[in-house]
Amino acid sequence: MRRLVKGAVPGVLLMMAGLAANAQDLGSAATDASLANEAESRQEFRSLDEEVQSLKKEVLDLNRDLFLLEEELLFPANSQVAFFISMDIGEYFGLDSVNLKVDGKEVANYLYTQREVDALVRGGVHRLHMENLKVGEHELIAVFTGKGPHGRDYRRGATLRFNKGIGAKYVELEITDRISKQQPEFDIREWE
Amino acid sequence: MKGLGKILLVAALTVLAQGGIAASDLTGQSAPDFALKSATGENLRLSEYRGDVVMINFWATWCGPCRQEMPLLDDLYSRYQRVGFSLLGVNIDDDSRRAMQMVEELGVNFPVLFDEKKTVSKLYQVEAMPVTVIVDRAGTVRHVHHGYKPGYEEQYLTQIRALLRE
Repeated sequence: MRRLVKGAVPGVLLMMAGLAANAQDLGSAATDASLANEAESRQEFRSLDEEVQSLKKEVLDLNRDLFLLEEELLFPANSQVAFFISMDIGEYFGLDSVNLKVDGKEVANYLYTQREVDALVRGGVHRLHMENLKVGEHELIAVFTGKGPHGRDYRRGATLRFNKGIGAKYVELEITDRISKQQPEFDIREWE
Repeated sequence: MKGLGKILLVAALTVLAQGGIAASDLTGQSAPDFALKSATGENLRLSEYRGDVVMINFWATWCGPCRQEMPLLDDLYSRYQRVGFSLLGVNIDDDSRRAMQMVEELGVNFPVLFDEKKTVSKLYQVEAMPVTVIVDRAGTVRHVHHGYKPGYEEQYLTQIRALLRE
């Protein structure tokens, strides 16, 4: 009986060792599998992120195209008239607001903040209004309000009769300083 | 017949309630931009406050709750101004001189703007007084409060703090 047991012990030990090795193999296989899964899910996540980014870009592109299309449809080039404001130096005039009338109808009344005035003085040009006008003659009246020389309230108008032909038209309302008179000057001119 | 009357009443109330909700339809939308003359004579434009949490408070001199609410709003303004909170008080009186008097009486420090032509109050569908609109840093309307009852300032505080943290 003892001999039988003695003979069986190494066999059992071998079996146990074999099982342990198998378990180790299984364990390493499981780790490999989980690592592979993790890498896969990371890859998936990355590709999903890329997809979201490209989708975002597409939305932005679409938005831009829509905006341009809307502008083209709302203001077709042949009837489009755009009015711009520009300012030079601005020592004799602190701009507060501009009121714009086309053919007797008020089309814009814009209040300028200090930041906007600063931007104009630095050379910025502001598109005040865009309008569809028929081919023919039109009248533009612009009324500028603000602070004139010595901080006094100042209100001045400027008028322009212009001819709208075929194609877009651009009109600039320009505020300049006339140093000889120490007064501001308001000009309206058409861009060629 | 009584049953029918009840149904009609419930339907009418539902429609009214929906009307009330419609007034806050701005929530989640981009805050309509505007520029108005302020009490200091400066023109202020909402879009120039982008990046700040902005509270727009519509008020009138004839509105009792506005008088009650304004000093509390001023407290919020002085407390959170330095961390990116702005408050614009939009007065809708026909005559801005009365509004100026009330501002002086109450001693509030936040910028007060005059909407004499009611263009901005129409933009914001102001149908009650006061109306308080809270705009987040990205320029989206996040909360609209109609009227004022004591305790509303606690809600304002919670909402402002949450938006400042975003």
